[in-house]
Amino acid sequence: MTAPSRTTVLFSSLTALVLVAIAATVVWSWRDDLPDPLASHWGGRSSVPDGFSSLKALTLSTGVLVVLLLALFAAIGWFWGSTATTRRLVAASAVWAGGFGACLLLFTAGVQRGLTDASRATLPGWAVAGLLVLPLAPAVVAALLVRKDPREPAGGPVGPDAPRLALGGDERAVWIHRADGGPGLIAGALAIAVVAVLAVVLREWALLIVPVLLAALFAAMFAFTVRVDATGLTVRSVLGWPGTHIPLEEVERASVAEVRPIREFGGWGWRVGRRGRVGVVLRAGESLLVERSADRSFVVTVGDAATGAALLNTLAERSRAA
Amino acid sequence: MLWRIDPVSDEPLYAQLAAQARLAAARGDLVPGDRLPAARDLADSLELNVHTVLKAYQQLRDEGLIELRRGRGAVVTSRAAADLSPVDSALAALVRAARAANLSAETLTALLKEAMSR
Repeated sequence: MTAPSRTTVLFSSLTALVLVAIAATVVWSWRDDLPDPLASHWGGRSSVPDGFSSLKALTLSTGVLVVLLLALFAAIGWFWGSTATTRRLVAASAVWAGGFGACLLLFTAGVQRGLTDASRATLPGWAVAGLLVLPLAPAVVAALLVRKDPREPAGGPVGPDAPRLALGGDERAVWIHRADGGPGLIAGALAIAVVAVLAVVLREWALLIVPVLLAALFAAMFAFTVRVDATGLTVRSVLGWPGTHIPLEEVERASVAEVRPIREFGGWGWRVGRRGRVGVVLRAGESLLVERSADRSFVVTVGDAATGAALLNTLAERSRAA
Repeated sequence: MLWRIDPVSDEPLYAQLAAQARLAAARGDLVPGDRLPAARDLADSLELNVHTVLKAYQQLRDEGLIELRRGRGAVVTSRAAADLSPVDSALAALVRAARAANLSAETLTALLKEAMSR
């Protein structure tokens, strides 16, 4: 656990709680206009509510849901937040959870203002889509506010047993390889199809924004360019975002490793795994593993990783000597 | 794939790049449909002028190894897949013979160039 991860967890959780608290205050100020009990759940057809609860129970259950989510994200940040990427994910997730809770309260109660009978309450499709999409705005802001990793040069030489490449003193070299596809893409396509079909079957056209956003996310997350050159290792989506860079001075050792996506990272994509290892994991098998200063590590599943690792070690060593 | 250039070599930089792409295609490291890196990326990483990389790509296109398409970049063509195994085995024999005759690499290269230009 590091000081930056403590800051991230603290500020993002507080922001989330404040969002929920504001929403709860607003909703409670409406209480004279609201039916009692309130509709709190809608079935497949949004026009027919099938769950009811008091305002107090609705506020409480929303609060508990958000707190549980925050606890999960805090644990990830606390134990695995050694890299800025991870802290960004944690900050965005926590703030999104708070925004989700706030929107849940506001929309659920908002659509019932002025009603006396909660069974006539309807939840329009835009509210459901808004519930998922609106909190993304503060979440993105939170992610952008997380400070970059400070410069942290490795203390010692590059691992002496790590592979090297024969490179002349004047020679310049770059290794570029593409990493794309993999089983995660199938899971993504499936998720997009399911949500799209659901939106069409329910005739909730506003919900279609969710598969559109998912498609953009998967397009960005499943084709990367991996590059090793005199600046270090750069892994960037072919769309330009997301990406990450490890400067040569932070490389302690690069090697070839076998990745098991489910066991080590719980799935595919841009991942945080055991002991805070960050992974761009598109498939099982061959990958380039970089052990980095300050007990961090990064792995990307890519072909010809042996060449990439050897060049990275060689260039890192050259930069230390300079 | 790995790209390397030696700025102190007599061979022009663009020719060094083109030679590596040809070799990679011959060895099967580049297969039809593969994309070469964006010229800008390659130039940045190797600290070259982007026109040097573009010159290499244009030469490869003229040879039919790659196609340059707007928006898609440089794509290796199906023509690129040539079987070099006979050349490899002949080369091994040639190197053995040259060593037996105490020929230097420079002399052998000169002989080879002369033979190729006939």
